[in-house]
Amino acid sequence: MARYVFKRLLSAVVTLIVILTIVFVLVRQMPIEGYFDNFDKLDETMITAKLNQMGLNDPMHVQLLRFFRQLLRGDLGTSARYRVGAPIGDIIVQKAPLSIELGVLSMALAMLLGIPLGAAMARAKSKFWDKFGTAFIVFVNAVPAAVYYIYLQSYGSSLLKTSMLFSRDDWRTWILPVVSMSLGNIAYYAMWLRRYMVDEMNKDYVKLARAKGLSNVKITMGHVFRNAFVPMIQYIPTSLMFTVCGSIYIESLYSVPGMGGLLVDVINRQDNPMVQAIVMIYSCVGIIGLLLGDLLMAVIDPRITFAKKEDMR
Amino acid sequence: MGMLRKIKTAPLEDRMQQELAARRKAAESDPFGFAAFDHASAEMGGYSDYSYWGSTLRAFFQNRVAVMLLAVLLILLVFTIIQPLLPYQYPANMIINHPTTGVQMSNIPPAATTVKAVAPAGTRLIVTPWEDDQWMAVSNVLTTIKARTEFTVVEYGDAYCRVELDGQTGYVKNDFSTKLKLPENPAEVPYSSRSNFPIQLYTAPDDYTNNGAPLFASRDALRAEGDGAVTTQECALRILPGKAPFLFGTNNLGQDLWALVWRGTRTSLFIGFTVAVIEALIGIVIGVLWGYIRSLDRLLTAVYNVVDNIPTTIVLILIAYIMRPGVRTLIFAMCLTGWVGMARFIRNQIIIIRDRDYNLASRCLGTNTTRIILRNLLPYLVSVIMLRMALAVPGAIGSEVFITYIGLGLPVSIPSLGNLINAGRKLISTSQSYQLVFPTIVLSIITISFYMIGNAFADAADPKNHV
Repeated sequence: MARYVFKRLLSAVVTLIVILTIVFVLVRQMPIEGYFDNFDKLDETMITAKLNQMGLNDPMHVQLLRFFRQLLRGDLGTSARYRVGAPIGDIIVQKAPLSIELGVLSMALAMLLGIPLGAAMARAKSKFWDKFGTAFIVFVNAVPAAVYYIYLQSYGSSLLKTSMLFSRDDWRTWILPVVSMSLGNIAYYAMWLRRYMVDEMNKDYVKLARAKGLSNVKITMGHVFRNAFVPMIQYIPTSLMFTVCGSIYIESLYSVPGMGGLLVDVINRQDNPMVQAIVMIYSCVGIIGLLLGDLLMAVIDPRITFAKKEDMR
Repeated sequence: MGMLRKIKTAPLEDRMQQELAARRKAAESDPFGFAAFDHASAEMGGYSDYSYWGSTLRAFFQNRVAVMLLAVLLILLVFTIIQPLLPYQYPANMIINHPTTGVQMSNIPPAATTVKAVAPAGTRLIVTPWEDDQWMAVSNVLTTIKARTEFTVVEYGDAYCRVELDGQTGYVKNDFSTKLKLPENPAEVPYSSRSNFPIQLYTAPDDYTNNGAPLFASRDALRAEGDGAVTTQECALRILPGKAPFLFGTNNLGQDLWALVWRGTRTSLFIGFTVAVIEALIGIVIGVLWGYIRSLDRLLTAVYNVVDNIPTTIVLILIAYIMRPGVRTLIFAMCLTGWVGMARFIRNQIIIIRDRDYNLASRCLGTNTTRIILRNLLPYLVSVIMLRMALAVPGAIGSEVFITYIGLGLPVSIPSLGNLINAGRKLISTSQSYQLVFPTIVLSIITISFYMIGNAFADAADPKNHV
């Protein structure tokens, strides 16, 4: 077990370093205007001087090493345009809590609705709940979220008689962003839970349970559900991490002052250091989520063995 | 399908029927005789007309919703392609100005025709100095009566009053826009009246203008008379010279939304199809190498771990931010991560079927690797490859909408569904919401159809469902 955890951690760290390097190198390809708050007013020599001062004219590997050294000290650099000279870490610390609150709420809602929906769909195959759920899943998966969010925002806010924009103090303006954020996850949980549960129901232990005379509810909840839920656990940390980081689209649509809206803001203002920092955070979140998912699975599912896996071939 | 099968199997079936008839005859004459081994009937027992693609298509055509959506999608695709060739179409990016006033024809609501009014025969019209071979600009405004000018009402109507002014007889509107000053019993004519606003004096009890701008009538229906013209027959008055209607209305720049939507659909579908094809090609090639060549496994798995870990949206945003916005940038950004899923799936499948006995046998017989991959392995994966490609199209269209919202999408000069939806987004709660609704409807039809058809086809291609 310890060996497995160690190996998994090591591979995560390596992936992390590779991804940070790629992002860093890519961001260096962007136009240099994004490093100045007053690019138009500067002349050639001043620009060169500033670039030298920021170390942007150094060879790439020197820059990269310096970047990693700063990162280890927890220094993400300073904003160039969004809030001139402010440390990026501080800006993000300011913005993150709101995204986390919204994300946790929406995850809770998604699990609260998605899991019962999936279970109901699996139990009532080709009855009302199955058809309703399938229609819902097809809709959410097929129609681009960017489109139905617009309608949800407009009609939802007139239905709830609230403002179209988010405001921290008015709890009613929380409803729509949270619901919008959870729609995709509800569909995801429902779809996979239904699939896994249908698979499990065809297995022999269910026949045995039925032969023993267990009630349908007991079989579904006590046996099928528990087994079907295990593969889903792997996904939960990833989706939690992403939801917590804030949905880029929804936060910007509702003007939520969180991380996702921040990314759109800094892109529109072409603030290179900020774009770099936020893109890196989002990239890392995926790795951490997968890592947590794997570790969680290892803890929960006794069927996973930690001995060297037999070669698949 | 069925017909094709008939042609192929008809001779066989005929033979079987003949055989059975002969057998029945023989059984009647000797019901308890032994049935000896008969080569022909043994052959018949082993006969099967199962064909994979035949069964797949048959299973697919049993799914009525999918078939219907397929028909809708095909019609839509064909229409998207031939739309510019149809008569009465505006170019997509053309800003349509009114020929006489020069004002942009902006925010005209959707209408099936451009006919604004129909003038009966014998209507007097005023000709504006604008004409071409076929059309004349006309209106029926005799003159504009200045505010607070007295005129005489000679006939009272609820919508229009006939009035006299300086020897001219005409009609004025009688509604909130003119607020005529009327006596207690307005029907008792004549009396003097006035309005506090400048009002138009029309030649007929109807307004034959496009909010004040002239309308256009076909020359054939007009006869010159004095400084004006008279309609010789019932005459359609159009808002523009030309018969092209604004089926979807126009946007705030005065561009025809109908033309924009189909042009945008072409752009979005082009992006979708290109991304699907490139993803499939890269995915298949890398997936096959990854699964078939053992020494590449470690390297490609490492690459997979990195690429799969970066969220697709972030890659999209980063690439679109660095490169110049354009169709190529979007396609490149989407393909950069899209192949990963396909490659992984192909790899897993290839590892499973690579060492099956029939492949071992094939290898022992000296078949070269290319042929094994192309003839022995890939046909197994066709259905899944097609499913993934079908799902890649709505995915790409959705990504385009999203990236346009962020502000990194295509420039406005290249209409796409994302551009149109983004422009219409701000109008959702206004009377111009049709500018959002039409692109949304077309987009939803396309994405839902691709999704449903892809899934139905994958189900149909699964041999378990062929029984």
